Amino acid sequence: MSALSELSKLRTGGHQTPEQRAARRKETSRDNRAGYAFLAPWLVGLFAFTIGPMLASLYLSFTDYNLIQSPNFTGFDNIVRMLGDDRLHQSLRVTFTYVLVGVPLQLIVALGIALLLNKGMRGLPFYRSVFYLPSMLGGSVAVSLLWRQIFGTDGLINQLLRALGVDATIGYVSHPDYALWTLILLHVWTFGSPMVIFLAGLRQIPTMYYEAAALDGANSRKIFLRVTLPLLSPIIFFNLVLQVIGAFQSFTQAFIVSGGSGGPSDSTLFYTLYLYERGFTNFQMGYASAMAWLLLVIIAAFTAINFFAAKYWVFYDD
Amino acid sequence: MTTTRRQFLAMASMGAAGLGLAGCSRGDTGDGDGGGGGGGGGDGDSTSLTLTWWGNPTRNQNTTDAIDAFTTENPNFSIEAQPGEWASYWDRLATQTAGNTAPDIIQMDMAYISEYGQRGALLDLAEYGLDTSKFIEGTADSGVIEGTNYGVNAGINSPSVLFNAAMFEELGVDLPDDTTWTWDDWLTTAIAITEASGGEIIGTTAFISNDVMLSAWLRQRGKELFIEGNQPGFDVSDITEWLEYHLQFADAGAMPSASQITEEASLPFDQGRLLTGTAAMSMYWSNQLDAAEAAGGTEYAMLRYPSFDGDATTRKAWYKASMLWSASARTENPEAAVEVINWWVNSTEAAEICLSERGIPANGEIAEHISSMLSDPQQRVAAFIADIEPELGDTPIAPPPGGGQLGSLLLRYSSDLLFDKLTVEEAATGFYDELVTSLGG
Amino acid sequence: MAGPRPDAVSRLRSVGKHALLIAASLVMIYPLVWMLVSSLRPTDVIFRTPGLWLNELYLDNYIEGWTALARPFDWYIVNSGIVVVGAVVGNLLSCSLAAYAFARLKFRLRTLWFAIMLMTIMLPFHVVIVPQYIVFNTFGMVNTFLPLVLPKFLATDAFFVFLMVQFIRGIPRELDEAARIDGCGHFRIFFRIIIPLMVPALATAAIFTFIWTWSDFFTSLIYLTAPDMYTVPLALRSFLDATSGSNWGAMFAMSIVSLVPLFLVFLFGQKYLIQGIATTGGK
Repeated sequence: MSALSELSKLRTGGHQTPEQRAARRKETSRDNRAGYAFLAPWLVGLFAFTIGPMLASLYLSFTDYNLIQSPNFTGFDNIVRMLGDDRLHQSLRVTFTYVLVGVPLQLIVALGIALLLNKGMRGLPFYRSVFYLPSMLGGSVAVSLLWRQIFGTDGLINQLLRALGVDATIGYVSHPDYALWTLILLHVWTFGSPMVIFLAGLRQIPTMYYEAAALDGANSRKIFLRVTLPLLSPIIFFNLVLQVIGAFQSFTQAFIVSGGSGGPSDSTLFYTLYLYERGFTNFQMGYASAMAWLLLVIIAAFTAINFFAAKYWVFYDD
Repeated sequence: MTTTRRQFLAMASMGAAGLGLAGCSRGDTGDGDGGGGGGGGGDGDSTSLTLTWWGNPTRNQNTTDAIDAFTTENPNFSIEAQPGEWASYWDRLATQTAGNTAPDIIQMDMAYISEYGQRGALLDLAEYGLDTSKFIEGTADSGVIEGTNYGVNAGINSPSVLFNAAMFEELGVDLPDDTTWTWDDWLTTAIAITEASGGEIIGTTAFISNDVMLSAWLRQRGKELFIEGNQPGFDVSDITEWLEYHLQFADAGAMPSASQITEEASLPFDQGRLLTGTAAMSMYWSNQLDAAEAAGGTEYAMLRYPSFDGDATTRKAWYKASMLWSASARTENPEAAVEVINWWVNSTEAAEICLSERGIPANGEIAEHISSMLSDPQQRVAAFIADIEPELGDTPIAPPPGGGQLGSLLLRYSSDLLFDKLTVEEAATGFYDELVTSLGG
Repeated sequence: MAGPRPDAVSRLRSVGKHALLIAASLVMIYPLVWMLVSSLRPTDVIFRTPGLWLNELYLDNYIEGWTALARPFDWYIVNSGIVVVGAVVGNLLSCSLAAYAFARLKFRLRTLWFAIMLMTIMLPFHVVIVPQYIVFNTFGMVNTFLPLVLPKFLATDAFFVFLMVQFIRGIPRELDEAARIDGCGHFRIFFRIIIPLMVPALATAAIFTFIWTWSDFFTSLIYLTAPDMYTVPLALRSFLDATSGSNWGAMFAMSIVSLVPLFLVFLFGQKYLIQGIATTGGK
């Protein structure tokens, strides 16, 4: 993940005098000590709870572990089986569609609403809370029941259409051609988290920039493009990276809406849903671990691309 | 466990660094506890067991009461309850089994008993003094797999078809005679309902992907879902015919559409079509009658499933264990665990508390003993179970490892068929091949 | 943000904006309304009654839900409260410390550690559940709240570390540079300068941690087996049973009850979420 070296190339703000540079050098050794002091809790957590289980799952990817008996080493068997596993390929198709369509849509909606709710209106706290509500309900049973009530064969949408005289008999949640799109819609509808992060990011933009821009007589479109967007870019970047990671691992919503089946006809068989089915329903935890590491490689590649591309559009003020 | 809370708060206030190993759990770590009287654990002369089950509020109550009754009677026992609910129960049990912390006594299901049993996670109950001497014939075998007794019947069940009799009357359709009706009658009756209601009410819920009905249908053809040696007991042609039979329902609109079937597959019990009054008949397990009538707010007629030659005595019915009691192979007190299980299935005391909530007791004397205490729906279930005894065939064997997936496989391939994504032959072959693969895996 | 405009136009715009927002609010709030209405109906009619119109206020679900389980429902709310408060405090402390290191300090292997940190959230959690369970079991922590809280004090939520890194990098360097040159120690700079400037990020992390921990079902399921240790999501699930009837009314009623703290936390927490940076005269 060499793209991450991006991070070490901090832009030094403008020109520096030689004295400043000398001071910097003196601080490097101090930085080393302090760096690890600040990082200490995270390092303890990593070695106590995180890295061990991760390495264990890496080892299990090369075994026939079934959760009950001791694992036997099977070499590349799981990987060979993955190559010929049609359902795995289907789950990759479903997941990629979801990521490539759902993430940009959700971020655009979240940013738009955040700009709208940023300031200068009455009743904003109420609106913000209401718009965040669906994200609070997130993975509850109520949402899955409701989604069926709206998009089911005899759901709200079809009842409205029938009232208008259309012969609507398609159950959107349960038709192979539409089911995934209702889940993408559900994903967009829960835009609360990125919206909140955008709101917080908007408030971190120092007002002096806006004052300066206003003095220059810039119109609001220009202010948005010249001030808001560049200064918000680290936060947009954060949301993009994390939403991509999250969408690749999307599980709960598909699980509750399809009852864990990924149906109809595997049209909502998300990667992690299939992984769960293999690991916990069919007791093939070795295979599931191999699947998990394949997903990690895919997500890591996307994240690396994101970090690499960030050079060209993310603006840091440090 | 208020001490746990106090300890926790005390430790939290000490800051994260000082947490270390907390002695709040019933763990066997033996480390000192974080201040303030520690948790439970064995006191040398007492036996502590954990018992887990899935269920509903009613079952949670009666199980807790039964545990209390047992420990009052046997003060040297302490039993820790771990209630759960079906959907998440198996995730937790799998994790605990993997971590060697499976509860001593486990409520088990036929779909999973081979997965756990054949992989060495369950105790052979017969070895530690399980008593099934008073069991009704055929019911003691439910949990026996290739000679090992991995679980014992916790309640008898049999597949039945529930009819909304009032609806039939309203629509002017006659209820079939369940001692003589055939699979074709199921079709004609369903079509009659759909037509009489002008399509408002669907004749029958779909049973195209119902492994129970498929099993009944196969047994009458001299086949089985599974046979010894972890393989299917039928072939592709059986499935082809099964699917063709159901396409007749689909073509006549006598069963829900492909979309509706998909939606219903993940609906909660209470939203089943029969219970919401949008279908006139549906397959249920006999012990679900109570819950079905409570949810549907009406009384249902409980009928036998059909036969091929119009004679109920040839329909190869069977008693299934609605659930089983198993014990963990790693339990430290195998005798004690089996003692509790014996008490549960053979004592009048346990039966009086639990009645037939888990199904009619398999112990005939016990079933007799509580028959007068049962609620009206449960009395009807008991009568049904008694009535069908002459119609019983051999008890089917438990699904082998990987076999518990048969229902969801069948659902996937039959929806593909109904959505016109596959032909009958493709669906039947695909289903069969994948089933064979998953049994081998 | 816009320049001065004629009054009438701006009023019209504001009315239009409100109309749009109210319409959108209805779409967002529908599920909650449906849940509320369902909680005020007897269980056996919930799924047989379409629409949102209530003929009577049926409050028994609330009474029953509160008392139907082994303990009164407030017991589970307190359990969840303990876990959530611990998780919030833990995340704020540990994640901000780690974030400061990544964003402002140049130490050896920084890039490597950062990459590893991101990788920890790339692996689907279903395959680490079992090994992690074994770790906690070895430490004797199963059936305590520790597995739900302790990791938060050790910054295992990379999401928040990365979030705070991005926020700290958005703080102009001049603000802490001066203090560094004056020879202030890093801890002083961190607590005196950085923390006050990243209040929105801290508020975001606090709110998200609260809400996600409050509704985290799976971790509770695996680690808390004794009914007395149940958190709210586990308690809610015990009203349901997929194989027979469920007490939907009580479940919805208690879901509404358990949403109240979330809604309140968000309503009051957002004040901090949108605090401007004091040093630059944000209003």
